[in-house]
Amino acid sequence: MKSLSSIKTILQKELREFVRDRRTLMLALVLGPLLTPAIMLGILSLAESRAKSQIEKPLDVPMVGAERAPNMVAWLAGQGIHRKAFQGDLDTAIRNQIEDVYIRVGDDFQKSWHEGEPALVEIVHDSTRQDSEIPVKRIEDALQRYGQQVGALRLLARGMNPGVAAPLAVSHKDLSTPEARRGMVMAFLPYLLILSAFIGGAYLIIDTTAGERERQSLEPLLATPARRGAVVTGKIAAACLVGFTSLLLTLMAFKVGAAFSPGIGRQMDVSMPAVAKMLMILLPMLFIGTSLLTFIAAGAKSVKEAQSYMSVLMLMPMIPTIALMVSPVKNQLWMFAVPFLAQNQMLLKVVRGEGITMEQWSVYLLAGFGLALVLWFAATRRYHQERLAISA
Amino acid sequence: MIVAEHLRKTFPAKGKSKAPVVAVDDVGFEARNGEITGLLGPNGAGKTTTLRMLYTLMQPESGRVLVDGKDVATDAEAARRALGVLPDARGVYKRLTARENIRYFGELHGLDAATIEARTRALSTALQMDDFLDRQTEGFSQGQRTKTAIARALVHDPRNVILDEPTNGLDVMTTRGLRDFLRQLRAEGRCVIFSSHIMQEVAALCDRIVVIAHGRVVAQGTADDLRHQTGESNLEDAFVRLIGSDEGLHA
Repeated sequence: MKSLSSIKTILQKELREFVRDRRTLMLALVLGPLLTPAIMLGILSLAESRAKSQIEKPLDVPMVGAERAPNMVAWLAGQGIHRKAFQGDLDTAIRNQIEDVYIRVGDDFQKSWHEGEPALVEIVHDSTRQDSEIPVKRIEDALQRYGQQVGALRLLARGMNPGVAAPLAVSHKDLSTPEARRGMVMAFLPYLLILSAFIGGAYLIIDTTAGERERQSLEPLLATPARRGAVVTGKIAAACLVGFTSLLLTLMAFKVGAAFSPGIGRQMDVSMPAVAKMLMILLPMLFIGTSLLTFIAAGAKSVKEAQSYMSVLMLMPMIPTIALMVSPVKNQLWMFAVPFLAQNQMLLKVVRGEGITMEQWSVYLLAGFGLALVLWFAATRRYHQERLAISA
Repeated sequence: MIVAEHLRKTFPAKGKSKAPVVAVDDVGFEARNGEITGLLGPNGAGKTTTLRMLYTLMQPESGRVLVDGKDVATDAEAARRALGVLPDARGVYKRLTARENIRYFGELHGLDAATIEARTRALSTALQMDDFLDRQTEGFSQGQRTKTAIARALVHDPRNVILDEPTNGLDVMTTRGLRDFLRQLRAEGRCVIFSSHIMQEVAALCDRIVVIAHGRVVAQGTADDLRHQTGESNLEDAFVRLIGSDEGLHA
């Protein structure tokens, strides 16, 4: 009971100090939660509009040796791929990123064409450039269709069924749900959310642990009858509250952003139940992050030392995302007990609109809060060390 | 009433493992109620470490501390309630006002709002801090910070008061005010311990003096006792003779 009121006192005081620090408050609660979704939504809508324009707009492509294949050039023009005049060396132009792609009609094109042999048409591009991806695909598709058409005509002219030359009819049947397709675009959303949950309370924790020690106010605090456990818990609770608010604002910003940009709304589930589920998933992460940071900051000699751990910590949520990218594995129950990996899988499930079973929820929450409890205990132990109170 | 018996504390040596540093060795003294006990010693003599053991922030390796007759090792929390402590580190919270700093500690001591309010008023008057009580402590002078730190240390009206070099960095007028405040605490029948490396200050204020050098108690008693013991008529000469050199006297 006494500890409870100490926790409340410490929580209130840390929050009061935090709120009075206007600039940090703005950074943590306004700029962070607004900027991330804004940048993300901006990039997404930019990519979307760009892809759309590249697919639908007429394409102007330099063509070398077009005079050798006038019929083909005319047919391509019918598909919206027009010839463009160009002076100078085209290979250099592509290397210098002046042109995305050009078509080269082989020197022997006419000879091969008349003899009924495959005639060479080259699509020249730089495959490492993302910009050329869509134009190249368009040209490739158009040329393929032209080739098939002419081939079929040739067979007909010889009195044969064109079907003979096409023994296979390969077609795609996409079974992905619309929800999953929008999930693909948002693959990096889990990382962002996990990161902001993991280190959302970092500023407050480092400031109230290592910072308080550096400002020499920790020794008087620890000389009060307040229990060490209560001190740690109060500080962690304050950081979690700030982190939670920041997360909530981030998700709300996504929701508002989705309302303004309908393209994004289709990409991602921002309904209230989905947001609530995401918050629930991120809650253990928040506790794990702040407890771990308290543990680190209580052992660090200075604020500077505590902050230098941050770059390592920021990498940790990335590990499962990258590991899954390199070798995708099927969801298994044990995964929901591994920190970071579990959050990643759970968030992806929510974003993709898939259901989460009770079994998965319970394994996840048990493992998450269990780890947070262990870290909290470790942080409390560190607060009992003599050297913590003694500022250099 | 605070009694220290045979306190010993060592710290592990830095760098290549040499012998541990003995900070305090066999320190014992008694600080009575209604008296001011001065811990006098040059810098690095072990005063702060001794005080930290008194207010339970450090555990002695051997020996024990009794506050009001109770061993602090068995119930540190009760000891902290009975003690008002101004540690060597006296950082105040910059974004809180002096009053809020005091209230924070009052709440941590489990006091109710009315008690805190009354104690704050009393301490503010005694320490003459009315004109900056409701200002945020950022930009406070050294004296204002020390007063705030003392007020929050005494908010729970403790019977025993421990002050680690309270006059450090204070000007003459503030120091005089502080001395009057300490005398007032004594008159209220409290047990006051304060440490200093300035001999004149200890001589002016203390009923009993404990001289510490190199982690050991080299002499204790009233100023007259010390003069008598060393055969010096001047207290400063007595002090120099006791600590065996004049190192750190003027530091």
